[in-house]
Amino acid sequence: MTGWGVLKSLWVTFKHLVVTYIEDLRYGKRRYFTPEGVEARRSSDVRGIFTVQYPEEKLPVPEAFRYLPFLVYEEGPNGEKQMRCTSCGICAKVCPPQCIWIVRRNDPQTGRPIPAPAAFYIDVDICMNCGFCAEFCPFDAIKMDHDYEIASYNRLSEHIYDLEKLAKPVSYYASIRPTDYALEEAARAQKGDAKKAGSTAG
Amino acid sequence: MSEKEITEMTTPGYEIPPELRHQVTITTLERIYNWGRANSLWPMMFGLACCAIEMIATAASRYDLARFGMEVMRPSPRQSDVLIVSGTVTKKMVPQIVRLYNQMAEPRYVIAMGACASGGGPFKEGYNVVSGIDKFIPVDVYIPGCPPTPQALLNGLIALQKKIERQSLRDLPWYQKGAAEPIPIPVLGPDLMDPRKYALIREVTRRQATQAQEGEVSNE
Ligand code: SF4
Ligand code: SF4
Ligand code: SF4
Repeated sequence: MTGWGVLKSLWVTFKHLVVTYIEDLRYGKRRYFTPEGVEARRSSDVRGIFTVQYPEEKLPVPEAFRYLPFLVYEEGPNGEKQMRCTSCGICAKVCPPQCIWIVRRNDPQTGRPIPAPAAFYIDVDICMNCGFCAEFCPFDAIKMDHDYEIASYNRLSEHIYDLEKLAKPVSYYASIRPTDYALEEAARAQKGDAKKAGSTAG
Repeated sequence: MSEKEITEMTTPGYEIPPELRHQVTITTLERIYNWGRANSLWPMMFGLACCAIEMIATAASRYDLARFGMEVMRPSPRQSDVLIVSGTVTKKMVPQIVRLYNQMAEPRYVIAMGACASGGGPFKEGYNVVSGIDKFIPVDVYIPGCPPTPQALLNGLIALQKKIERQSLRDLPWYQKGAAEPIPIPVLGPDLMDPRKYALIREVTRRQATQAQEGEVSNE
């Protein structure tokens, strides 16, 4: 019969609508704008509406999610930023689309290079979020961020990130990627122990 | 609407008699107009590369563009207000994009979605890729990412709505007298086919093909 398929599909939509109201009555206010509500609605056996109401609700991102890179700094005792980056330039070399620019810092007195970047730029409108920079950095100085809300109106003034925009504290890194952070800290502690043992033996 | 916006709306600088408070609202025409424009943006159904898949995901029911008044993707440039350039802009595609932009009715907005559309992305030095659509048409919002997740795209669309709400009708080019000049269709270098020369290209191709065939025949 002509139009039978249309009627059948409208029936599916109608069922969906009714089920949404039944579920709303069953769970009440908990269903929307709460973390458990989002969690329940994103599962595969959800009944009724499953729309995530961004920007009021956000789907939690997995820990390994990566968007743009950022530079990790340690907070010194007086709140000063101690960048982990030594401006070795490995990340700029491995970056497939070549979107990292680094300027090395020279000691003003002797003119010899010191291990800290004078300037560090990433063109985030070129970056392809591959994570190679984070993978290859030997000093754990560059890591992938979770922040994706970075749309802006101007490419050149807002989307070429400089040192100031890239720098984020190590506590932030520990909060977004706790597993990686713990692994790295453990590896570093082990290395430190080995060094100590080596120096006493030698 | 937030508390602050409501207070702003209800205190326009005019004296409202106390008995009419909370019953009338005075606002500027511009504000109402922009509010209407910002909440009825219809995107064009137009995708270029991998980013388009994320755009499709954004339009589907998990994220649902319709919540922002973007109802349906329009399949015609005449009916759409925003062009989401979602993907790699190849040299062969850029004349078509500029043509679509010229065909869109004003007011029109452009979103550069993803690294490719904003700056060329991974292919920024590719022989066949335009490094950024903003070299040809004006872009209103840039969304980094490769690809931007659906939520990042929604963030960009909300940023565009905010931009529209702040615009002044007096300064916008499409509310001025006279028609706007169309953007010239780009003709890029020798590796791009010039559409005006299709007939010539076809003729040359045909001649070479016949010559090759004849050569084969004589060789046998
Ligand atoms: S971020 Fe890492 S790889 Fe890149 S220059 Fe700094 S230390 Fe070297
Ligand atoms: S994530 Fe990939 S593209 Fe982005 S800066 Fe790092 S290496 Fe380059
Ligand atoms: S930005 Fe990345 S995902 Fe988007 S079109 Fe380019 S390569 Fe594909």
